[in-house]
Amino acid sequence: MEGIFKDSLFAEITGEAGELLKYDTSGDLLLFPVRHHSPVCSYQILRAVEEFSPTAILVEGPENANGLIPVLTDERTELPAAFYYFYKDKKKLVSEDAEDYKCYYPFLYSSPEFNALAAAAAKGIRAAFIDLPYCEILINTAKGKGLRTEKEKHSYTDDTRLIRSKFYKKLCEKTGIRNFEEFWEKYFEIEGLKLTPAEFCKNMHTYCVLTRAQEKDSELEADGTLARERHMALRIKEALDKGEKVLVVTGGLHSLGLAKLLKSGKIKAEKLHKMTPDIQGSFPTAYSYEAADALHGYASGMRFPAFYDGIMKRIVNGADPANVYNDATLELLIKTAKESSKKDIAISIADITSAQTVMNGLAALRNVSQCGISELADGITSAFIKGEKTISSAMPLDIMRRLATGDGIGHIGDKTHVPPLVADFEKQCDIFKLKYASVIPQEADVPLFLGERGLNLSRFMHRITYLDTGFATLTKGPDLKRGKDRSRVRELWKYRRTPQVDAALIDHTTDGFTIEEACTNLAARALTEHRRCQDAAQTAIDCFLMGIPLTGHQKELLYDIVSEDGDFFSIGEGLRCFARLCDLQKLYEFEDSSSFACLEKCMSRLIPALPSMANSPEETASDVVDVMRRMYSLTGSMLENWRDTLEGALLTLVGSKDKNPEVYGAAMGLLYALEPSRRSAAEDAMRGFLQGSEKVRMQGADYLKGLFCTAGDIVLADDSFLYMTDELITGFEREDYLEILPSMRLAFSYFTPSEIQSIAKAVAGIHGVKDKDIIYGDTIDEGLFEFGKKLDSLITARLNGGEMQ
Amino acid sequence: MEQNYIKPPVEIRYADELKTLRDNDNGKKPENWLLSPKAVRTFILGGEVDTPEGKVKIPRKFYGNDALVERCIITLAGSRGLMLVGEPGTAKTMLSELLSAACCGVSTNTVQGTAGTTEDMIKYSWNYALLLAKGPCREALVPSPLLVGMEKGIFARFEEITRTPAEIQDSLISVMSDQILNIPELGDEGLVQAKRGFNIIGTANTRDKGVNEMSGALKRRFNFETVEPVSDVSLEKEIIIREAENMAKAGHIDCPVDTDVAELLAVTYHELREGKTSEGTVVEKPAAVMSTAEAVSVYYQTISHAWYYGDGTADLGILTENLLGAVCKENKDDLEKLKAYFRTAVKEKAKKVGGAWKEYSKTASLLR
Repeated sequence: MEGIFKDSLFAEITGEAGELLKYDTSGDLLLFPVRHHSPVCSYQILRAVEEFSPTAILVEGPENANGLIPVLTDERTELPAAFYYFYKDKKKLVSEDAEDYKCYYPFLYSSPEFNALAAAAAKGIRAAFIDLPYCEILINTAKGKGLRTEKEKHSYTDDTRLIRSKFYKKLCEKTGIRNFEEFWEKYFEIEGLKLTPAEFCKNMHTYCVLTRAQEKDSELEADGTLARERHMALRIKEALDKGEKVLVVTGGLHSLGLAKLLKSGKIKAEKLHKMTPDIQGSFPTAYSYEAADALHGYASGMRFPAFYDGIMKRIVNGADPANVYNDATLELLIKTAKESSKKDIAISIADITSAQTVMNGLAALRNVSQCGISELADGITSAFIKGEKTISSAMPLDIMRRLATGDGIGHIGDKTHVPPLVADFEKQCDIFKLKYASVIPQEADVPLFLGERGLNLSRFMHRITYLDTGFATLTKGPDLKRGKDRSRVRELWKYRRTPQVDAALIDHTTDGFTIEEACTNLAARALTEHRRCQDAAQTAIDCFLMGIPLTGHQKELLYDIVSEDGDFFSIGEGLRCFARLCDLQKLYEFEDSSSFACLEKCMSRLIPALPSMANSPEETASDVVDVMRRMYSLTGSMLENWRDTLEGALLTLVGSKDKNPEVYGAAMGLLYALEPSRRSAAEDAMRGFLQGSEKVRMQGADYLKGLFCTAGDIVLADDSFLYMTDELITGFEREDYLEILPSMRLAFSYFTPSEIQSIAKAVAGIHGVKDKDIIYGDTIDEGLFEFGKKLDSLITARLNGGEMQ
Repeated sequence: MEQNYIKPPVEIRYADELKTLRDNDNGKKPENWLLSPKAVRTFILGGEVDTPEGKVKIPRKFYGNDALVERCIITLAGSRGLMLVGEPGTAKTMLSELLSAACCGVSTNTVQGTAGTTEDMIKYSWNYALLLAKGPCREALVPSPLLVGMEKGIFARFEEITRTPAEIQDSLISVMSDQILNIPELGDEGLVQAKRGFNIIGTANTRDKGVNEMSGALKRRFNFETVEPVSDVSLEKEIIIREAENMAKAGHIDCPVDTDVAELLAVTYHELREGKTSEGTVVEKPAAVMSTAEAVSVYYQTISHAWYYGDGTADLGILTENLLGAVCKENKDDLEKLKAYFRTAVKEKAKKVGGAWKEYSKTASLLR
């Protein structure tokens, strides 16, 4: 550390405010600069608390979460944990878009903020956050800046400035270091352990003041930094005025700003808006190492959080700071070797020894007193990667990074402040023995009909999915909504708890106190919003899968939606959904009389509309045919008493003047199925197509498509349809044939392979050949083939020669 | 005397720098090394040396991954050999020469691996006249670079190791494991033990992979380092200029450096190697090696032509023709790929950037 900054530099760059930045344990104020999640900052903070003996510790953080501090420092709480802040801009104070905002404030064991708060709790002194409430930060931030940048995830602890500074790049060049993380690890994390708190503080202030010097005031104002500093300074002043001895823990970049404001004594109070708990709030939530690292992309703390957390845990447990990194990196090296061996990557003891030799050698070469993660990565690269470094050969390096990042997830001990939905989620997970305390993806095999647990677990998974939490994904199993794989009796779920799961659950807090209640309310709301039968039916399936019975009012609502929808296809889809529900009620032990009523209502709406679908345009004809098939199939099972009415509607349809050939064919097929004596009518219709103009003949293919779709057996009964199909195909010119080919292909796709084979044999018979003759063709004489080949090459040579001339 | 050689060895070329470093080196040295690891790092990656006369600047000689160089130095100070692998033209040989010269003062103690390399060349052979006259004795023995390295405690370099048949490569295993070479013909005197400071630096082309794959046993005795091509275009341009200048100086060619031409070449090589232009257009990668060393060679040819046949300024037409010769060597499809690159990327740059790119674009007709 020594040698990086000159001693005189500190006074030079801090000016008059410098005296407030001095580490003076006899004064009333100590501004301690930190980097989020940095173990060395945590270590030095703990020492500073002992040396300074404050009566109050003030920490940078939105003050509307002050009530949650005891939850964080509760001994039952396991880190990583975070405070989740939300703000719903219903009053349009942030922007005219009235958007919802949310962000995390993550805490790890290596977070200096956490260690400061924990030290205060241990000593029984006051601890408080002093930053503006979350909504005020947003109100004071310009669009596209700070916490209002366009990001999927926001972290309150944003280190962007520290990292993007050009200043450190110059330092890297001077010190021959590759990047910021390596620079930070060497000069602050490792070498900082050797310093006294006073020396460390001075170095941190110097670095941060030089970094801040590159920021324009306009930028600091735009991203809310200056407003936040004014508020923090005000809170510090209030504490000092009360006679408290104050230790202030903030990001290093704020220190100079705070010192200047406190020095001037003129601090303008920020206007604070009144907020109700439904539009602004904060909750403690479990957080993961993975998210703490993933957020690194947004520069919110250190890389490899589990590794650095381990460093802090070791120090707290009494490890010698002078050797803590050497121990931790060696342990991680051995773990990496073990994990690699599990993946069939042979790593010997000699390799481990060699890697350690390289690590120690590099540490000496780089003038760093202990091996850090950079040396570890280099040691692994050198000794564990055999051959060319590629994605596959570099796997040990990936394993090391994964281990250093960590896959653990925290736990909130005091459940009083845990959002009710998160608490219920954890309770349900415990009941079903789901492993939710890890970010590693898990699998759950759910036998639906073997005992009560399977069905209940399935319902829980569907509920948590309905809340759009991203916790579980159904990878295999019956898909009732799309009507696929409904014969499967097991569901295979993949699930994984991430902070986003908690965030989604917290977002649904206003919907209910349990997951079941939230789903019930959401489904009820969805029903009131739906206007189309198919949407309402999908919600009914959701409720069915979630095991949430509809209330009498909701049933009426559902019935009304079906009654009022005028869209043939939407009702057709509703028919499918309700039929599925009626069919599976017993199996899923879910009694719901409304489904059958809705099913009948769908049928009663579809039948009068059916004749009007006769002249459907080409693009919707297949959908009409689908609905017709569905209607016919139901009149053979649940809705038998509707068969005659359906027959009447079909007869009206075929009697219409203008008909889509595919719909016509399907209707003729269904009528034939209802009454086999109508076969001749279907044949006559086909003959009509054959005898018509070229355009009408081409429609014959679509007629066949519709007919085969609903009554494929008509072809297999005798040869007359085959003769007509053959006549249709052979009567076309090549170009016209190519035009009808897609329809013909689709028409024959309704047959099974063995049916197609027997049809092919019959067609071959019509033309007096055998199927084998068609497949193999005629044998060509060998001599003739040779002659042809020679002729071919001669012509090619002549042509090429001609071109050259 | 030095300038009479085409390519003087590193220890002669940089003799002054090595002496400065040696004279002012206070760092700890592995036994038998001439410089400490820190001084070796400074020699290869550049830096400043404090001397009684003031600070002396040591220029950087290897561009790219600094950590790789550090790992190489530390590996060589340990018990394992160093194997440098990578695409042709990524300066593996240069790095191994620099390391040898800096650590041992000798970069020429080298075995060149070929399909015809035999075990004799790796271990030892005999001066048959002396052998017949005096029988097997030390005088009649012709030591290999490996044996020399063991006896003197210096590095032995093994170039293109994978060009050598696998069973021949494996003769290194016992030497690297036990640090002993047995010469049975010499009886009790035939046991040569490696002196401290001895190590092996191997190089292997990834393009030769599969020609003679190294055995697992041998791999375990090396630490591998993959030398990647230079990923930064401006750095590649800098290297082309620097190296071509050095070559021109050695060849007494007094042509001014045309940075624009060097940039054209650096961008062309970089984009063809990556298969993507700076504008994001995907271009087909030629099968030929698109290394910085090749680019340097093309540039040198161009300025040589300008010096001997032209007015001393680099002609873009000649540059394109030289590029054609360098790229279209093994695969006839490479010509089409190069033409396509000119049709798309060069044309686009001519429109956007103009200047030399415009002239460069016009030379596309020479690609045939």
